[in-house]
Amino acid sequence: MPNFRDPSLSVMEPNVLSNSLLNSYIPVLVMGVAAIALAAALIGLNGILGPSRPNPQKLSPYECGVTPIGSARERFPIKFYLIAMLFIVFDIETVFMYPWAVTYIHSGGMMIFNLIEMLLFVGILFVGYYYVWKRGAFEWE
Amino acid sequence: MPESLAGFLSIPVLLFLIFALGAVSTAVSCVLTPNPVRSALFLVLNLFCVAILYLLLNAYFLAVVQVIVYAGAIMVLFLFVIMLLNLGSPERIPDQMKWQQPVAVGAGILLAAMLTVTIASSVPSFAPATSLPQTARRTTLDAREPGASQTMDNSAILDDIARRPETMGTPYGIGKNLYNPDKPWLFPFEMVSFLLLVAVIGSVSLAGRQTSEEKA
Amino acid sequence: MNPAVQNANYGALTSLMPLGGVVPLTWYITLASLLFITGAVGVLVKRNPIVIFMCVELMLNASNLALIAFGRYLGNSGGMMFSIFVMAVAAAEVAVGLGILISIFRLRDSISVDEVNLMRG
Repeated sequence: MPNFRDPSLSVMEPNVLSNSLLNSYIPVLVMGVAAIALAAALIGLNGILGPSRPNPQKLSPYECGVTPIGSARERFPIKFYLIAMLFIVFDIETVFMYPWAVTYIHSGGMMIFNLIEMLLFVGILFVGYYYVWKRGAFEWE
Repeated sequence: MPESLAGFLSIPVLLFLIFALGAVSTAVSCVLTPNPVRSALFLVLNLFCVAILYLLLNAYFLAVVQVIVYAGAIMVLFLFVIMLLNLGSPERIPDQMKWQQPVAVGAGILLAAMLTVTIASSVPSFAPATSLPQTARRTTLDAREPGASQTMDNSAILDDIARRPETMGTPYGIGKNLYNPDKPWLFPFEMVSFLLLVAVIGSVSLAGRQTSEEKA
Repeated sequence: MNPAVQNANYGALTSLMPLGGVVPLTWYITLASLLFITGAVGVLVKRNPIVIFMCVELMLNASNLALIAFGRYLGNSGGMMFSIFVMAVAAAEVAVGLGILISIFRLRDSISVDEVNLMRG
């Protein structure tokens, strides 16, 4: 069985550093709990305190006084899909660029190598960008 | 009993139990609900729970990427397509293979039992790797006392960040490992750009094609 | 052989028992396999191809969790690298898969998986 574990790492010691890094996420946790509690409180109080006397007139969908026609579920234009899809692809590109940008200044003798590496990555994606541009997927009309 | 409970139930264990329960229950509701929009929203909750488990595993960067890319971008794309194809209402699609459901659930339970037994008998149960009290390595991250900063080598600290399991998940640790020419990630990294290129061209040419009636 | 792995708790159901104050590796792997099975059952049970895609995402996500847990517990950076690539592949898969769904929908005005059987031979 190959040994994947770094031999210089000890095993059963308390995770002090790990816990101190995790502790910096406690404010995020507090914020999340506070946001959920506030939303739940506002909606709950609304249900408890507010009077509720529905009648058919009140419950009907409102469309500037005119009787609504058709269903509210209409088909979206396809352009929304194209824009969201392009966003995902360039989002993934950013995910790879972010750690590169953080470490680039510390790459020492590998600076040119790392730069070429990333230029190649962006260059290949630029081909796709050019294709999409020529194809007209960025045009809204 | 309270003493043994306190020894077992530390805050990380408690957080793991809460979010593991959340992840499993949202995953099951994602499969059970007949409404595709609700299914997508349950999947978003599931991805959030798993992101918090990533935080507990010290994979900080991946937790944020999970929320931004998965819960943010990919699920928006899913919702767009549900709206686009007008599949928001449940039970639009009749099931033509009724027998498949009980068979699938039975096979799933069987698989769960087999996997649990396999995991219990072959995955070793040890605590996470840590690098703290190794005497030779105490000169770096741990020795950040006010007076010690002059004697410390800055690059040794930075190397340590990329090597330690606790800090490997920060953007710096990810970058140092991903863009390290001694490690095998360079080729997959360049291949990802080809994959994304194919995805862009493929989906634009699939979805961007206008049928004759739409052109008119 | 590393003494850590040698001394680890193998065998029977004892490896599922809690360690003092830390989550054992087996819990993460069990959770990942449960999520994976949920996704797999969803793929088989569901009839809406978009929900089937979501279940595939669930399975990919479970495998990511297992990779990261193994990487963290072994002190190996490979787990996180792998899961970054899995995320990139998942994004590409969703983009192309949903594009295919849209073109199927345009062709036949329905995307029931039972009706898409022209290539069954």
